[in-house]
Amino acid sequence: MAPVPDPNNVGGGGGAKRDEATMKVPSKDPKKKDDKKEDDLSEEDLELKQNLELYVERVQDPNPELQKAALESMRQEIRASTSSMTSVPKPLKFLRPHYGTLKEFHQNMAESDLKKLLADILSVLALTMSAEGKRESLGYRLTGSGGDIGSWGHEYVRNLAGEIAEEYTMRQSEEASVEDLMDLVKQIVAFHMKHNAETEAVDLLMDVEDLDLLLAHVDRTNFRRTCNYLTSSAKFLAGPDDMLVLDIAYMIYIKFEEYPNALQIALFLDNMQYVKQIFTSCTDLLRKKQFCYMISRHGITVEIDPEMVADKDDRDMLQDIVNNTKLSEGYLTLARDIEVMEAKTPEDIYKAHLLDGRASSGPSVDSARQNLAATFVNAFVNAGFGQDKLMTVPSDAASGIAGNWLFKNKEHGKTSAAASLGMILLWDVDAGLTQLDKYFHSSDNPVLAGALLGVGINNCGIKSDCDPALALLGEYIDNEDSSVRIGAIMGLGIAYAGSQNDQIRSSLSPILNDAKAPLDVIAFAALSLGMIYVGSCNEEVAQSIIFALMDRSEAQLGDALTRFLPLGLGLLYLGKQESVEATAEVSKTFNEKIRKYCDMTLLSCAYAGTGNVLKVQDLLAQCGEHLEKGDIHQGPAVLGLAMVAMSEELGLDMAIRSLERVLQYGEQNIRRAVPLALGLLCISNPKVNVMDTLSRLSHDTDSEVAMSAIISLGLIGAGTNNARIAGMLRNLSSYYYKDASLLFCVRIAQGFVHMGKGLLTLSPFHSERLLLSPTALAGIVTLLHACLDMKSIILGKYHYVLYFLVLAMQPRMMLTVDENLKPISVPVRVGQAVDVVGQAGRPKTITGFQTHSTPVLLAAGERAELATDKYIPLSPILEGFIILKENPDYRDEE
Amino acid sequence: MLTVSVKWQKKVFEGIEIDVTLPPYVFKAQLYDLTGVPPERQKIMVKGGLLKDDADWSAIGVKDGQKLMMMGTADEIVKAPEKAIVFAEDLPEEEQATNLGYSAGLVNLGNTCYMNSTVQCLKSVPELKSALSNYSLAGRSNDVDQTSHMLTVATRELFGDLDRSVNAVSPTQFWMTLRKKFPQFSQLQNGMHMQQDAEECWTQLLYTLSQSLKAPASSEDSDAVKALFGVNLRSRVHCQESGEESSETESVYSLKCHISHEVNHLHEGLKHGLKGELEKTSPALGRTAVYLKESLIDSLPRYLTVQFVRFFWKRETNQKAKILRKVDYPLELDIFDLCSEDLRKKLEAPRQKLRDEEGKKLGLQPKSSSKDIDVKMTDAEAPSSNEGGESSTAGQQEGASSSSEKGTHMTGIYDLVTVLTHKGRSADSGHYVAWVKQESGKWIQYDDSHPSIQREEDITKLSGGGDWHMAYIIMYKARFVSM
Repeated sequence: MAPVPDPNNVGGGGGAKRDEATMKVPSKDPKKKDDKKEDDLSEEDLELKQNLELYVERVQDPNPELQKAALESMRQEIRASTSSMTSVPKPLKFLRPHYGTLKEFHQNMAESDLKKLLADILSVLALTMSAEGKRESLGYRLTGSGGDIGSWGHEYVRNLAGEIAEEYTMRQSEEASVEDLMDLVKQIVAFHMKHNAETEAVDLLMDVEDLDLLLAHVDRTNFRRTCNYLTSSAKFLAGPDDMLVLDIAYMIYIKFEEYPNALQIALFLDNMQYVKQIFTSCTDLLRKKQFCYMISRHGITVEIDPEMVADKDDRDMLQDIVNNTKLSEGYLTLARDIEVMEAKTPEDIYKAHLLDGRASSGPSVDSARQNLAATFVNAFVNAGFGQDKLMTVPSDAASGIAGNWLFKNKEHGKTSAAASLGMILLWDVDAGLTQLDKYFHSSDNPVLAGALLGVGINNCGIKSDCDPALALLGEYIDNEDSSVRIGAIMGLGIAYAGSQNDQIRSSLSPILNDAKAPLDVIAFAALSLGMIYVGSCNEEVAQSIIFALMDRSEAQLGDALTRFLPLGLGLLYLGKQESVEATAEVSKTFNEKIRKYCDMTLLSCAYAGTGNVLKVQDLLAQCGEHLEKGDIHQGPAVLGLAMVAMSEELGLDMAIRSLERVLQYGEQNIRRAVPLALGLLCISNPKVNVMDTLSRLSHDTDSEVAMSAIISLGLIGAGTNNARIAGMLRNLSSYYYKDASLLFCVRIAQGFVHMGKGLLTLSPFHSERLLLSPTALAGIVTLLHACLDMKSIILGKYHYVLYFLVLAMQPRMMLTVDENLKPISVPVRVGQAVDVVGQAGRPKTITGFQTHSTPVLLAAGERAELATDKYIPLSPILEGFIILKENPDYRDEE
Repeated sequence: MLTVSVKWQKKVFEGIEIDVTLPPYVFKAQLYDLTGVPPERQKIMVKGGLLKDDADWSAIGVKDGQKLMMMGTADEIVKAPEKAIVFAEDLPEEEQATNLGYSAGLVNLGNTCYMNSTVQCLKSVPELKSALSNYSLAGRSNDVDQTSHMLTVATRELFGDLDRSVNAVSPTQFWMTLRKKFPQFSQLQNGMHMQQDAEECWTQLLYTLSQSLKAPASSEDSDAVKALFGVNLRSRVHCQESGEESSETESVYSLKCHISHEVNHLHEGLKHGLKGELEKTSPALGRTAVYLKESLIDSLPRYLTVQFVRFFWKRETNQKAKILRKVDYPLELDIFDLCSEDLRKKLEAPRQKLRDEEGKKLGLQPKSSSKDIDVKMTDAEAPSSNEGGESSTAGQQEGASSSSEKGTHMTGIYDLVTVLTHKGRSADSGHYVAWVKQESGKWIQYDDSHPSIQREEDITKLSGGGDWHMAYIIMYKARFVSM
């Protein structure tokens, strides 16, 4: 399709010009009149002017014949000259002085066709003459003859559209009929859609609240741009309008069989009905496989039923893809291609040799805390690679020093060490269970707890018919040792996040209301239930958690772990907006110690990722209050700010700026949360300005502010290998070499930055930042809430909450596979994504690209496109697994 | 009879028959044959849980052709190591200190930084420490007076405290005995103890230690301190007027680096310091005449101390004024050309050997690292050759030969180990700080109670020429070569 040149269709540019025109003309005209303007006019213009003046006179002539002729000629003149809008067309200019006379005459005319004709002309003249807010153009149009709206030119249509919107809101408030307007709207929409002005058509329809009209007018050439505009404007609309807009986009995509895009929207809407519809309407099995890849990336549980795919073998294959069973394979393909299979030790990450003079010479005695840090670093760095140099070394070397790394950790540290095995073998269930098996027979409770947790981590995002995690962990839920219980409960939470598994609920719910259960077990049970039922608004789970919260004694409410109860409750409503209201109402009856904390957590979870400005303001207001000592609810409020605002770029930048402000004026408990909020906003997306802020805060005199800043430095650089952050952390490691706690945080952050040797991302957003994976967000938010009280949780004995991050860990890759799902290598261009919403034609979608061959890594804000015509990708969003089909029209150049 | 497939690790065993009338234990035994995993270690996952040995197949509802998953290995079960691992966090506070890689600082008791820095510098000499630890009450000989004895004991205790403690040590006892022994350090000014000259403290302390650490049994020369720090100088005293010439030997504990206008570098200062004029009665002339005295080093100490003569008595202001001139000093000092002929001959062979070794390493690896390794090597051997501080006997020449028997030789090359700096405009004011190289190669700045890590390149920046800390007394450690 060749782009149609249309000077009027340049977004805001047209509007500005129109303003200019209306402003300039009145001021110039009288002056010109006085200055013997005839002299300035060319002969042609003079003639035109005289003609028009003649027509104006004749229109007022009593003879209808003459009148008609005059009107016709006037119309001719105007139509002939409205092609361009760079200046006010001459006929309009010359007719301006006569607008008043014509208007008056029109008023006195009897009803007739002639009156309608005159109304048409007046409607056009009103374009430049009508006073602001009078909507005369529209008024005359409605009384006019109707005719083809486009014949008067774009500018006229656009002006009319604006007046319609105004008129519509006015009539709405007066509850008057809008039928006549809607007729006009139909004409205008049809005109816009034909003339590459989809954005204006959509705007008008949104103003008159009748987007359904769009369906009739989209066609193959313009539906993409239309939908693009619809989906991106949805982010700025308040509910429920945004849902409506997306619904329309979905219907348009379905209409044109653009199923991948439709699926994207169905997932965004969390509408399983739509997902099913896509499967049933699409007949191509290969495309369905691609859908399954998209669903698996989103991390939700979908059962492929016979209605969706009839054949059983096909169904099994699709279910396998949805269950993510091939994720490990794909990830390892990527790792081998990039040649990063070689396991890394924590020392490779610390790079102490780069620190001149200050490098510690390696203490002669093992430090439990530093070993624990090394355990985590090792786990995060080698995540998913299946090999490392601490935990998976062959057993014959186990007699040596290297093999028994597990026992180089102290007590509860062993839990994290054993669980790290699950992380190293992430997604590879068969190998993971084999490796973890030996720890199941340990008589050491922390080791057993770690093995259970490891199974959960290992199975994160992977589903299987045999439900190995449930089978293995289920029997330990009621173990007498509470560390083993927590291991099993947390493992289930991670393995079944988002699955809404009833069997688990029935075994976990009783724990919540068990008067004998220790607080930490209850806290983790609530959290796991929140994860499993994330975003489900499940009443029963909510009830159990609410009762558990009400049963807590005053002392227990003060415990750091109690915060997991409201958080578990909040996760149930993650991103579900108004659905939270009933529960929020109940939370008002809680003990005042936890009430506000609960309030803030619920609010922030429910509106997470919506970009709702009103909620951002609510939360900011909370941060502005100066509190008496002891209140802790401002922490979640600050985090909530980030959760709500993180969805789109503009809101995100605004949130970063408001956080700077909060940092300056807020109290200590707020300052501690601000770095974490920044970390969430820019997760796996190291923005330089945020990096600088965090770097500054990492030297803060308040050690908790410094700790959260350090952890956040790790979060914003997670999986990027960002050299600048790595350098900063290295320097921090020598700066804090004497402070074990801060050093621990630095080490953890270093592990984050090099997570998966740079192949992973923690960003919960995917599919070009449109979709938000609920489980991923749940994992990050849980960690951040835990970080609000670093000393009692992460630096205490619950450091394994760090493993909740596994929920958000995803390879940041694009892997192309052929029709048999075997990886193939094709050239792709990878570059910075360009926002093309509302742009005419086919603008470039990436800039500053480099050509690589797949599999490739995609950094934050990058987009890929195929650099060959040999294949056709089955999804327009080139992320994760992409199935390529051979292009039948492709001709080799030879 | 049901047929199922079982997935174990990466393998799938197809077509395994289950006799539903027999307990699942039989099925497990079947799998034992296939996988070698003993039944009690097998975990078989069926819908909603693990397969129990005595379960009823019909209740489980396994269907024909179903895929089961089995987990289990025949691997050894992990056992905790027999010897429990000791973690730093569990150690008593004293032992944690050793982990830091350097010892604690000293509390300033009120203008005692001169003393603190001196103690920190001397403490870095392991041989001195071991000599002190051998010093006991019984070993006290009669010619050592009570106060010297007390000071020696106090030094030993203080060194011990420093090694054991994590937090800064308060050297109260040491200070008391020091003041008792040397009342000049008790001077008061405005009711406060005055700042003193660190050099004086250094010399006095070493002198005392040398007196008390003399081995009582053996001859008068078995002086541990002298063996460590003493430099024998052979001087030629020459009178130009009369042409008289005599030679004399003396033993000093430190070389002086005189600072004049021509001196820009330590080496020049040392040369300058070894030449001197003195007036004495000439027997030939029968009156006092000017004699030139030129000294050369006759034997080398294990630790070479150099004092920058930065202070002089300024009559006008009645105080010790300071020369701020910048005098560079190297991290590696070669004093070959300050040695006497005899000594040079002895040094030649070891030096050649050292050069060869370095050249060899240079061929293989960059220079900086080879140097480090070299230092470590000599470190490892040095203490053994000087056990108890009594191995070197009867003068330095013999000391050198005795060590040569054990295979290590002096090379005339020294590595910088401590720097005692002064900051301020006069000796009685300002601030003294010690900079000490640890065995790990790290430099630590001991600013009273605050030890902090420094970079090596910053150490040579203490050479003066401004108001920053500047070197006052520096100590080099001999580099040995084994033959």
